[in-house]
Amino acid sequence: MILAVAGGKGGVGKTTLAYNVAAELDGVAVDADLGMADLPTGRGPDLHDVLAGAADPIETIRAGPVDVVPCGRTLAGARACDLTRLKDAVAALDGERGPVVLDCPAGRRADAGVPLAVADACLLVVSPRAFALADAVRTRELARELDAGLVGCAVNKVTETPPTETIADALGAPAEVVPADPRVERSVAAERPVVTAAPDSEAAAAVRTLARRVPQRADWAREDTAPF
Amino acid sequence: MELDWSVDREGDASLVSCRVRNDGAVPRRVRVESRLDGAVLPPRRGGVPEPGWDAAGVTAVLAPGERRAFGFASVAEPVEPPVAVASAEPVEPGSEAEAGAADGAGNPVRTAVRDLGSPRPPRRAVDGAVPSETRTRANDPEATPERNREDNADDERTISPADPVGAPAGLDAWFAAVEARVERAERLTDADLATATAVVSAAGGLDGVAALDERVASDAERLRALRDRAAALADRAGETDAPTAALERLA
Repeated sequence: MILAVAGGKGGVGKTTLAYNVAAELDGVAVDADLGMADLPTGRGPDLHDVLAGAADPIETIRAGPVDVVPCGRTLAGARACDLTRLKDAVAALDGERGPVVLDCPAGRRADAGVPLAVADACLLVVSPRAFALADAVRTRELARELDAGLVGCAVNKVTETPPTETIADALGAPAEVVPADPRVERSVAAERPVVTAAPDSEAAAAVRTLARRVPQRADWAREDTAPF
Repeated sequence: MELDWSVDREGDASLVSCRVRNDGAVPRRVRVESRLDGAVLPPRRGGVPEPGWDAAGVTAVLAPGERRAFGFASVAEPVEPPVAVASAEPVEPGSEAEAGAADGAGNPVRTAVRDLGSPRPPRRAVDGAVPSETRTRANDPEATPERNREDNADDERTISPADPVGAPAGLDAWFAAVEARVERAERLTDADLATATAVVSAAGGLDGVAALDERVASDAERLRALRDRAAALADRAGETDAPTAALERLA
């Protein structure tokens, strides 16, 4: 099962959501943000090396509370990437390690499109602010074109009650509210996913609900219809 | 099917262009194949061939009366005619999906790479960030040694703000170029009429002299920056002390 966590806009919390959903799915979080990686890194080969044809995807898995495939931080590494290699790399990770959660970059260039094209399903992260919704809608269109079934959206960093129904209507998928919570914000840097660090929190419940919407089998998600 | 074509030799490549027109009354899928004795280099975007192209030619669906132009390159010698219509079959008007599959729309990854904007950081942003051998070794189709040479030549012509201090060879060349400019400027400083006339005509007139003056001023600025940086680096290099012996004991 390959899940893309996308959102169009930067700074809405795609990485945090991807990391925490990967924790709940017991999967591997892949930092597919080739130009601005922010999942924890480590020594050894990373996704840049894989996409440059210089490393095996399996050897890039970095074990931790949540297993991560880190991404290089250099522009030269980003420039050397061949995006057409992503499909085989992610398929290898899926076969070896189970659910793969792709943390997608912002924008609608090929580096944002290819993860959606290789994914079986996608999860959209939106900010509760109105101006962010337009970006999410455009990313939703891109996902539809590239055949990544939308399983849900996370309205992230919520402080006041957001227009959840409007957002769900606009995006055509159930919306889950993830309240602003410092434990979520810290989870990636501290490598403490909220579902284990604060299992009783509202944020953890939201992450669990989102993870439950992710189908077990890839072929289900490839159906053209929305899941509700 | 109507087919007309042209073939030109440009450097080491044959450039083939052709136009195909469906003169039938029904949509037809036409297959145009190269007759050249070499691989077809199809048009590409983002490194991915345009829809319908493969190693031998192109396949496309043409509506009645529709005219379509194609072109490709090949390193093979030109032959005449360079292309031939290999097949032209009528297509059921309803079978759009089949038409799409023939155009190569079935691979979303290739579609995404081709149709969405390239995410690659520009070469200029990367230059100087890593040693050039790393770039060449990495899978960078543009980082061939030839291309690097071009870039260096460009740097010398324009003295771009990018750091030219890459390889020592480039550094030597740059110093030599600066020295030549400074020498020319020196000959103009307090020169007698005969020398000045010679130098001005060598520099390409008064405009050339003005440009030379600017260049030398910017050279001076860069040389000073280089001096400060080199001195700072030399100080730091002098203060380092890798404890080889201690590390050997530990290992």
